[in-house]
Amino acid sequence: MIFEVSHRTHYRYATPVAQSQHLVHMTPRTVGHQTTIRHNLMVEPAPAMRHEGVDGFGNPFVVLEVQVPHKELILMARSAIETRAPQATDLAATTPWDRLDDVITQAPGGLDLDVIQYRCSTRITGATLEIADYARASFGQGRPVLDGAMDLTRRIYADFRFDPGATDVSTPVEQVFAQRRGVCQDFAHLALAGLRALRVPARYVSGYILTHPPPGQPKLSGADASHAWISVWSPETGWRDFDPTNGIEVGEEHITIAYGRDYNDVSPISGVLIGGGEHVVTVGVDVVPQAAAPAA
Amino acid sequence: MNTIASARREGGPSLADLYRVTGTSGYDELRAADGAVRAYWQALLSGLGDFPAAELTARAARIDRRVRETGVAYDMFADPNAATQKWQLDLMPIVLSSAEWRWLATALTQRARLFDALLADVYGSQKLMRDGLVPPELVFSDNAFLRPCQGILDKAGPLRFYAADLARGADGQWRVIDNHLETLAGLGFVLANRVAHTHVTGDLFKQVNAVRLAAHCQRLQNALTAHAGRDNAAIALLTPGPHHEDYFSHAYLARYLGLLLVEGSDLRTRGSHVYLKTLEGLKEIDLIVRCVDGRQIDPLELDPAGFMGPAGLLRVNRENPRLVVNAVGSALGQNRGLGQYLPALAKQLLGEDLLLSDAPRWWLGDPAARRHVLDNLDGLVIRAAQEGTGRPGQAALGRAAGEISAAERERLKAEIALHGAGLVAEEKIGCSTAPAFEGESLVARPFAVRFFVAHTGNGFETMPGGLAMTVDPARAVALSAPDGHTRDVWVLSDAQQAPHVSLWRPKLENARVERSQRVVQSRVADDLYWLGRYSERADWTMRMLRGALRRVAEDSGPVDGLGGVRRCLDMRLTDPEMADTGVRRISDAGDVESRCLDLVARARSPRTLARTLEGLYQVSYLVRDRLSHEAWQTLSRFRPGDPWMRALSAAGPGALLDLLDEGLAALSSFNGLTHENMTRNYGWSFLDMGRRLERAYNLSEAILTLFIPPPDAEEETSSLLLLLELADSFITYRSRYRLDPMLALVLDLLLLDEANPRALAYQLAAISKHLEALPDARHGVSLAEDRRLILSLLTSIRLADVMAIAEEADRATLERLMREQLQVLPELSNAVGRHYFNLTEETPHRALTRIEPRP
Repeated sequence: MIFEVSHRTHYRYATPVAQSQHLVHMTPRTVGHQTTIRHNLMVEPAPAMRHEGVDGFGNPFVVLEVQVPHKELILMARSAIETRAPQATDLAATTPWDRLDDVITQAPGGLDLDVIQYRCSTRITGATLEIADYARASFGQGRPVLDGAMDLTRRIYADFRFDPGATDVSTPVEQVFAQRRGVCQDFAHLALAGLRALRVPARYVSGYILTHPPPGQPKLSGADASHAWISVWSPETGWRDFDPTNGIEVGEEHITIAYGRDYNDVSPISGVLIGGGEHVVTVGVDVVPQAAAPAA
Repeated sequence: MNTIASARREGGPSLADLYRVTGTSGYDELRAADGAVRAYWQALLSGLGDFPAAELTARAARIDRRVRETGVAYDMFADPNAATQKWQLDLMPIVLSSAEWRWLATALTQRARLFDALLADVYGSQKLMRDGLVPPELVFSDNAFLRPCQGILDKAGPLRFYAADLARGADGQWRVIDNHLETLAGLGFVLANRVAHTHVTGDLFKQVNAVRLAAHCQRLQNALTAHAGRDNAAIALLTPGPHHEDYFSHAYLARYLGLLLVEGSDLRTRGSHVYLKTLEGLKEIDLIVRCVDGRQIDPLELDPAGFMGPAGLLRVNRENPRLVVNAVGSALGQNRGLGQYLPALAKQLLGEDLLLSDAPRWWLGDPAARRHVLDNLDGLVIRAAQEGTGRPGQAALGRAAGEISAAERERLKAEIALHGAGLVAEEKIGCSTAPAFEGESLVARPFAVRFFVAHTGNGFETMPGGLAMTVDPARAVALSAPDGHTRDVWVLSDAQQAPHVSLWRPKLENARVERSQRVVQSRVADDLYWLGRYSERADWTMRMLRGALRRVAEDSGPVDGLGGVRRCLDMRLTDPEMADTGVRRISDAGDVESRCLDLVARARSPRTLARTLEGLYQVSYLVRDRLSHEAWQTLSRFRPGDPWMRALSAAGPGALLDLLDEGLAALSSFNGLTHENMTRNYGWSFLDMGRRLERAYNLSEAILTLFIPPPDAEEETSSLLLLLELADSFITYRSRYRLDPMLALVLDLLLLDEANPRALAYQLAAISKHLEALPDARHGVSLAEDRRLILSLLTSIRLADVMAIAEEADRATLERLMREQLQVLPELSNAVGRHYFNLTEETPHRALTRIEPRP
């Protein structure tokens, strides 16, 4: 499928911001099942400095520095992306999770650091004993790793309630686990904590998802959203994505922006401001499927 | 007890004979296993043996005093009498022979080369991890591995600083118990210890032919200048600030090496440079010597909660990888789990055998090691692999698996299973003992020692000295001595010593040092301003107390001259914030003496002498790198816990007078030293402005208090005398008039006479002159607020007619004049603050957006 995505972030500050710097991860990656056809990021007021690069996980990023005093800041990212449904695979035909260690450590031609780095927990994906036990319930002895990952994805979907009021950006994963509520990044972090406690390579995915309006209603502008899910590795399939918020394997309606160990690696925008006081942010995302290939 | 004194009286055994080594298993530095004194200790022992016993005790006490005066401490704001904070330096150094030193120096530089190559690989091509020579999961599980530094650290040039904590086991072998690659790990403490110690034992130091540190530090300083890339480079030592336990070390080192001492909020990035906020605007920084955690140095790309450095630093650093030393990310090398892999790495990276190995440890991320440790927990200590502290003596103790309850043990096992990648298990190793001077005798105390390596023009070079600390061998593998009992380390030399060079007296090639000090950070200007205010306030308060107490002591009869004194004391005891609310007095005490004691310390007023001196000491500490040694030392008696301060809070009225004389003498020598020794840069302007503004305020307040409402004739004379005394102008008045004080003449001398450095007009004129000379950071067209206020105050005083004022029966004009001063001076103070101290309108903060899709 081909999508046009527009992602508009609008900050309004109580007092003028004297200087601001922003680290932006909004450029969708070109990866196996997805091609970025077009992308641009417009910023108002115009930044004095703009630096583009690729981070240690292979994600494109932009650093902006705005030097004029401003009370509003608008970032408008527009992208055209083509996604393809992943090849159908038999999840049950993947390596048993408890055999992964042998496969990973005995790789011919050197260790695959890109896989190993995602086995290690981070500050915000550290499992408690309870979380480890919860995850282990999906990984009986000899269970194929992706089969277990799918099971864990479904269980989180069934056991946890989506509730934006229950958590904020800094809520620790053990609290999410205890209250059985949260949003997509909480569920992704929880799944990662559980998988990494079992030393299964798993990474955080930041992206968009196409949403469908209730039957009979038109789709509202700006009603789509950023989304987060996980990606789990097996030697047979490489990385395969699962969406614990929706309890499904990821298909062609998910658009990947970036991979990281957790949210902190790939937060869409983080900024350090001097001045500004309180701020209000409004985010509008539109994911619009295109009938045919767009004019380049 | 066999003390040295008793031994000498009896003509008994020598110094060495008194040194008993208890326990036979360990290694002693002084005594070989057969009991003989090791040859290289002989020189020191015979030097000490030549002293009378009392001399040793006296010297130990002098070292102690010197340490207090220098202000060596972990946490300068804490109570220095608290046992955990007290920094002690033993009379007995640890002595190392030149042969042993050559080996240690070589072994330590080898390790520095090894870590240099290791870090360059991990932050570069990562071949070592792919080949399994460094376990990838050890690196990826360590928060100190900072992925954004890949491509920066490997281009930063060689590691600049490395330190290692060593202990010598029972077999006589040195082993490394911790590595420090993140910051300078307490180098300032070593220098301060050495300066304090040799101040007292310089003769012995020379006699045993020990190696000085200055030449090494000189090469280090030159190397930093070379690294910065230009002659007049602005080199900043970045510290977390005065509330960090290592601040003393940072401040001392900055001063010693002539570096700018800056905090994160002093810096900002703009475009592709880092700038220091100064009174003259932004100044580019060429090199940052990092004494803050790398993780917290850039909130934009690293820990979002870390504001120890300026946001955007890594972005700038990417363009200029040599900007920060040690390069950000170097803390990874401190991971305790690496030790077991170092021998193989030395072969691979250097083609050499590792000379100096680590204490036996297992990284618990390795499945085989984990299984082994879980089966053999007893006798092992479990610790964090990465502790992230370079503070000498402050390493956290591990959990000894054999000494915890069964339940705790199960929890520990579960934690190892789950988070083993962040843990190590270690065997206890013994620590060798060396003599410490305690209670007039030599006692064997176990110790560990930190050695420092720096990259200089000669490549890696080990500093010939170190920081030794007494440790508790029963508990710790680490250099962990919460009581801070330290010892100097003397490295003996076979060679003739080069003539003494100290960096305190810079030579021509270090002229950079002098120039860079002219840069005045906005924060420093603020501190200097308050230093001026507090020193003047302390001076004024002590004069007032002395004047009051003298009057009580000298006027035994029922004299009315005490009315003015009483009113002045009451005014100082009133919180100025509350003065207008009708709450006149906090203290209700009756007589003058009791009020004096209130003003010393008892009252809650913010203007008590104790509070003022506390403020004075704290603020002088913050700017001590701007003060001369002597100026700083004159203030050391105001340190909380100093004998003078303790005497002050305990003193009755009689003893108080003597203490006040001493305090005033200290302050006046401080003022004289700053006046004579500080260069007249903007920093000095702020110090002087603070002093002038405080004096103008105090004088105006005293005049208003003493003469409004007008007292009767007898009290007026007595009040005039008191005023002259407070303003230290009695002699000037007498030499001019040879008359009893008259209001008109006193007012002329203390209000209008711009030649009298105690007169109000003199203070205002001085402030005005300072402000005119300062850069106007505002670039406005109209007169800046501060200039406008000082102009109005000065004009109003210059226009006053003292003859007319003195003849007014109700003194309404005098009252109006003085009230105007008391109202506008604080406004002026605020205006100066707004104009010069707050270049950052607000501290930076980080804003995150949250992903929040619909279900």
